[in-house]
Amino acid sequence: MTEYGRKIWLLYLKDLRTELSTQDNLLSTFVFGIMLVVIFSFAFQLADVPVDRALAAVLWISVFFTSTLSLQRSFAIEQKNDALSALLLAVGDRGAVFLAKMLSNLTSLLLLELILVPLAWVLINVQSAGPTQFGLLIGVLFLGSWGLAAVGTLINGMTVQLANARLLFPILLFPLLIPILIGGVLCVSAALNYSTGSVKGWLYLLLCFDLIYTVVPFVLFDLILEG
Amino acid sequence: MLEKLKRLHFWVLCFLMPANLYLIFFYAPVERTMGVVQKVFYVHVACAWIGMLAFVVVFAASIRYLLKGDEVSSRLALASAEIGTVFISCVLLTGPLWAKPVWNTWWTWDPRLTTTVVMWFMYLAYIILQSGGRSENRRRYAAVYGIVAFINVPLVFFSARWWRSIHPVVITAVEFGLSGPMKTTLFCTLATFSLIYCYFLVLRYRSLTLAEQINQLKGAGQ
Repeated sequence: MTEYGRKIWLLYLKDLRTELSTQDNLLSTFVFGIMLVVIFSFAFQLADVPVDRALAAVLWISVFFTSTLSLQRSFAIEQKNDALSALLLAVGDRGAVFLAKMLSNLTSLLLLELILVPLAWVLINVQSAGPTQFGLLIGVLFLGSWGLAAVGTLINGMTVQLANARLLFPILLFPLLIPILIGGVLCVSAALNYSTGSVKGWLYLLLCFDLIYTVVPFVLFDLILEG
Repeated sequence: MLEKLKRLHFWVLCFLMPANLYLIFFYAPVERTMGVVQKVFYVHVACAWIGMLAFVVVFAASIRYLLKGDEVSSRLALASAEIGTVFISCVLLTGPLWAKPVWNTWWTWDPRLTTTVVMWFMYLAYIILQSGGRSENRRRYAAVYGIVAFINVPLVFFSARWWRSIHPVVITAVEFGLSGPMKTTLFCTLATFSLIYCYFLVLRYRSLTLAEQINQLKGAGQ
């Protein structure tokens, strides 16, 4: 087990290192995310929609759209020089590859949110939030990003090996994300004091989604990276 | 033998479909408050049922394909997904026709509506994934997607339901909120639509098989 964990850890570090070494990609992803948040908040302001209430929606839509850029790279970087084959030979277990890729994707999503959330916060001029609200916000962003990373890694593992399938990625990805959208938007709204009702159930639902979409691809990944 | 059965199936459908229309428009009484617009309910529910059924078939065939790797299940899954898309589209068209006069809105984010529209998108994604060529990779990925998408349906449904619900629950565990002739009509429509689904499935499966054979012959000729 420790051997398995070490494999995942090494792969994870490798992914982070390649991600950080190609700074152009990371930078353009972040800039795209920031731009989305700004454009959405501006559009809501122009349409005279109460922007403070729209924060949760702005945030999640921006994260979803930006994630199509960052998640798509996850396996694309393995294509050059057929690095994927080498990776599979070195690791042997496809499940480990999935978990490591998922973790590195989760990390880059969290980094992205670290920039987007304060920005949205400022643009939308949130008035009040206590420590419990902050805790809920962080918890929900973590759970939502985990699910997003898990589903995204699975779909990217497929589309990267198909010819002309770049456009397929968001089409396959977004319908699967609807539970995250519902739970995520409601919980972020609740964290900002705008909705009532219990959020605990939503957190459990998101956790449930994350576990399902971590375990099922983990099992099925042998079939994805067969070649 | 099979050919005969298929022809029989066809003629049975030729009889059942007009008979079913008769049941819907003349046998079933006009609903007291909603009026004649309620007639769309029978077709709407039957289409939704076929959409669900088709999705279950996609799921089952996908699992079978991953276990056995046979072309038959893959083709069956694709055929079923295509038919399911057509019927789900009908659900999404007939629903607003009824909802506008009754709920006074074309669309609302009720759990069933949300689930249906998400299912429609997943069906379309599945078909696009499969239609980019019939390579082995694509078939396998489509099967994986068929399974993953199926798991997503209850998740979408329950999260949307937690949020809110105004869709009429006609069939509950406790009682059946329909009068006798209406119930008969609904069940007859469900049966007819199920037969239509089977007929389409066989037809589409055969045309996919033929298309593949033609492709193989073309490849051999070159």
